[in-house]
Amino acid sequence: MAATFFGEVVKAPCRAGTEDEEEDDEGRKETPEDREVRRQLARKREVRLLRRQTKTSLEVSLLEKYPCSKFIIAIGNNAVAFLSSFVTSSGVWEEVGCAKLWNEWCRTTDTAHLSPTEAFCVFYHLKSNPSVLLCQCSCYVAEDQQYQWLEKVFGSCPRKNLQITVLTCRHVTDYKTSESTSSLHPPFLKALKTQNFKEPPCCSLLEQPNIVHDLPAAVLSYCQVWKIPAILYLCYTDVMKLDLITVEAFKPVLSSRSLKGLVKNIPQSTEVLKKLVTTNEIQSNIYT
Amino acid sequence: MESRYDRAITVFSPDGHLFQVEYAQEAVKKGSTAVGIRGTDIVVLGVEKKSVAKLQDERTVRKICALDDHVCMAFAGLTADARVVINRARVECQSYKLTVEDPVTVEYITRFIATLKQKYTQSNGRRPFGISALIVGFDDDGIPRLYQTDPSGTYHAWKANAIGRSAKTVREFLEKNYTEDAIANDNEAIKLAIRALLEIVQSGGKNIELAIIRRNQPLKMFSAKEIESQVTAIEKEKEETEKKKSKKTA
Repeated sequence: MAATFFGEVVKAPCRAGTEDEEEDDEGRKETPEDREVRRQLARKREVRLLRRQTKTSLEVSLLEKYPCSKFIIAIGNNAVAFLSSFVTSSGVWEEVGCAKLWNEWCRTTDTAHLSPTEAFCVFYHLKSNPSVLLCQCSCYVAEDQQYQWLEKVFGSCPRKNLQITVLTCRHVTDYKTSESTSSLHPPFLKALKTQNFKEPPCCSLLEQPNIVHDLPAAVLSYCQVWKIPAILYLCYTDVMKLDLITVEAFKPVLSSRSLKGLVKNIPQSTEVLKKLVTTNEIQSNIYT
Repeated sequence: MESRYDRAITVFSPDGHLFQVEYAQEAVKKGSTAVGIRGTDIVVLGVEKKSVAKLQDERTVRKICALDDHVCMAFAGLTADARVVINRARVECQSYKLTVEDPVTVEYITRFIATLKQKYTQSNGRRPFGISALIVGFDDDGIPRLYQTDPSGTYHAWKANAIGRSAKTVREFLEKNYTEDAIANDNEAIKLAIRALLEIVQSGGKNIELAIIRRNQPLKMFSAKEIESQVTAIEKEKEETEKKKSKKTA
């Protein structure tokens, strides 16, 4: 039994396994078929980090091959649109690799031939300053794949003079607060940082009992363990699809040290963003 | 303390706004552009064709619809809302004709549509219609008419107007180019409409749809070929004016 923050008592699942369960040999034994199925599934769900434009895998982790001092990761379509229109359009970025993975959330069943448009976990570095690395991750990385992703990208022993910025979105219904919900005006930005991150964040910090989920949480945990300064900017929004106002809610992040030098022309970027959003809307039949 | 209830339903905000109506006007801007021009003996409606999906039947994606033999309209905004409004207007046109034994005037049917739209800004539990319409036609007196309605339920007569996505750009173009010469004859009026749309349409004539009504004649939809030939003629004229200009400066 466990008590939640709000005082309810719930039955907590126990991962230690109950000790009074008798080992049933017949039921527990793994048959060769089970092993084969498990092996095939593991192979299907493997995270592969590929060199740019080729099918060859990277032998070492991404950060070992491309050491950097600034790593900006965008997770989710709105965060990716923000970086596309404000950062990658303001400079010359070269693709250095992509991560291909498959899970139940992927729309394709063919795991061997994921096209570049679907794989969507692409890494870039700035041509004029290769120590700045960018990641655009539009696909969902499942729980069992997050560790692999981290290993393939960060490696098992990351460098210390590295600063990480993560951008992502979450639906505002996930935001827990003791204030009335009518006082919330989504989209709004919240920050969560590791202990070693010393700069002031560009917005207020995420309050308890809110938690971060999925890949952003995995990255932050990794950075906290390895004492890497990292900050996550989480945008709580009421529109989960690609939305102009949600993307623009990330604008305060442009004043942070990581992104400051990277954005040249804000009005032009806003135009690029508008175009990005409208091309996505054309497919819909709602408006004529 | 700012209250958010006035954003979800159509009631006044403390500073006198009807937010739902204003947001409905934003919905109109999401539709592709439509332009209407009132000539001397012709009325022209031109629209920017929406890109259809590969497997979609193009004929079912229409922005220009006839309301009666002598009245037609183009809309911008929510497709489903437009369908409902058009159906009501068409029924009203026939009902009027059967009752009064005269076809509706353009102003009458515009007023009907505008009144319908206004009702929805003053009902509980309903939202306004998210469309603006350009209504053109000829009355019995032979005078050409162009009216525009918007989600708030207002309607006005115009000499030329545009609605939808790039309406502002097109309206500025019309303000500069709508002259007595420009509408001197039917062909010139058609060309003006096409030129206005070419300002904002990508890849030229194949993304334009055009309809005209001439006095005492039914609605005529232009075929893709006819539009192409108009576009070629316009481009030729443009080239010639450019040549003349460069000769003058030289």
